[in-house]
Amino acid sequence: MKKKKNRGVYALKARYGYICTFPWVIGLVLFFILPIGQSVYYSFCDVSLSVGGMKINFLGLDNFRYIFLENAEYMDYMAEAVIKFLYSFPIILILSLILALMLNQNFRGRIFFRALYFLPVIAASGAVLNTVLSSAAGGISNINQDESIAMSMFDISEIVDSVGLPQQMSGYFVSIIDGITGLIWSCGVQTVLFIAGMQAIPPLLYEVAKVEGATKWEEFWFITLPMLSRVLILVSIFTMVELMTATSNPVMVQAYSFMQSQFYGESSAMLWSYFLLIGLIIALILGIYKKLCLDRWE
Amino acid sequence: MLFKRVNNNLKYNKYWRKTGKIGYSIFRMIMLISIGYLVIYPVIIMITGSIKPVSAYLDKSIIYIPKEATFEYYKTAVEALDYFDSILSTLIYGIVSAIIEIAVCAFIAYGMARFDFKLKKVLNFMLVILILVPTQMIIIPMMMNYSQVDIFGILGLINKLTGIDLRPNILGTAWTFYLPSLFGVGLRAGMLIYIYMQFFKGLPYELEEAAWIDGAGLFKTFFCIAVPSSSVVFTTVSIFSVVWHWNEYFQPMMYLSSDFTLAVKIYDIDNLLTAVGLYDGYPQYSTKKAAAFLFIVPMLIVYLILQKKFVQSIDRVGITG
Repeated sequence: MKKKKNRGVYALKARYGYICTFPWVIGLVLFFILPIGQSVYYSFCDVSLSVGGMKINFLGLDNFRYIFLENAEYMDYMAEAVIKFLYSFPIILILSLILALMLNQNFRGRIFFRALYFLPVIAASGAVLNTVLSSAAGGISNINQDESIAMSMFDISEIVDSVGLPQQMSGYFVSIIDGITGLIWSCGVQTVLFIAGMQAIPPLLYEVAKVEGATKWEEFWFITLPMLSRVLILVSIFTMVELMTATSNPVMVQAYSFMQSQFYGESSAMLWSYFLLIGLIIALILGIYKKLCLDRWE
Repeated sequence: MLFKRVNNNLKYNKYWRKTGKIGYSIFRMIMLISIGYLVIYPVIIMITGSIKPVSAYLDKSIIYIPKEATFEYYKTAVEALDYFDSILSTLIYGIVSAIIEIAVCAFIAYGMARFDFKLKKVLNFMLVILILVPTQMIIIPMMMNYSQVDIFGILGLINKLTGIDLRPNILGTAWTFYLPSLFGVGLRAGMLIYIYMQFFKGLPYELEEAAWIDGAGLFKTFFCIAVPSSSVVFTTVSIFSVVWHWNEYFQPMMYLSSDFTLAVKIYDIDNLLTAVGLYDGYPQYSTKKAAAFLFIVPMLIVYLILQKKFVQSIDRVGITG
């Protein structure tokens, strides 16, 4: 008797679940899975728009051959974007984790600092930042009042040059320091997510650790970080998408200009090969992370 | 080893603990202030730069505060951006779909978080994919589909059989933004659903079970129990969604052909300024900054009003993954 009743409740719950997610499933099929399929298909085709609709000719791998072998710029842009991704990704992750740790503690002025550091969440728009920071860079050169951070206080490029690093290295240094405002401004949402994650850690664990005589350093490595492991995955996926779709991303800019001149097939091929490369890197990072940390923690 | 450490701790406890604490709090202050400077720096540049007359650029002694202020750049920026009309179209295209999304995603996430069903594993996987794949990847087919709306190929079949083209073109109308939001796959809907789910999972089950026993249905428990007890997550999600829609430039740029939203115009500011006769030079830089400031001002006001609530809500949403 009891069993039967339970099954009834389960069936009811399952039905409620289907009712709730029904519109989403339709949306996923119509506005997400289908377009993804189409977009992958377009990357193997020559797509052209005309008055009577669109024409799609299957080409095979021609688009990919074009962008990788014949287009001179794509590989350079791709390399630039990937290198930028490789250094911004860890910086954003670590910086937002440190900020979240600091902002999660109790101290005077915490509310003020939180309000300050959440400001990028509101205004985090690459377009705005570009407009503000890049505007003076191409100015009249003999007056040379640059407003990027590398120039505003003292000339960082000169300092880096005087250290005597190879040209390539010092170039990267200057570009990182130059882009530091951009990097910090893209930490907003990540910091918020980390703080939300830290709030979900039961305080009991910290009390136990304190009684056992753990230092703050051990508390961080053995409680905070393992408890944040899932949030870390969410944040890294979010960061990856953010970095991929940034307005300053050269691959995106190129793909967009191809779109505007109606080379839809080539543009799809560009986007997909770039997406797969970045996805592969992320999968690699997360795989190592899972092997080293998650398996041990859980 | 443990004994040794405890011993050490007892020995140096009073002295070192205190010094370490003070030292750490000074270090934290320095870090927070210096990184905070970098956060606030673009805003300072934006505000001071937008009121700088050309003479202030030529004067090397002036970095931030100009000797005299001018507001003519704001006039030019308002004119170039077509400010109030663009705000109106941002409200129509962006904010309305944000509101739709906030409501729809809550319902979907409620179902995903509270009930067990067979498809749930598949849907969880789809959620990750939805967060992972940016709109840019699917924008081309979306444009094509919007230009000839065809539900499951039925209208296309009619077209082929009879030659009558019933497929409507909704490209350039507000429906291009409302439709995905209505089905919970709009702008970054994956993130919103995820945050909602995390919160709903933490709600106690007892109230809902009591309600079911008393004969309440799904909608009743959702609207009368789940929604009233989740004002916290609604604050977080609303701020995220509204801000993301406000800042979104890519979709409006691709879908619309006129009445562009404010974000598109900021993205395209160089051309707009050239159109009103401002070419490369200092007046253009100042006008750009004025335009950027005008762009963030509405969100800034909203943020200053909701700031306290937002900060508190972050503390209580709790994402465990």
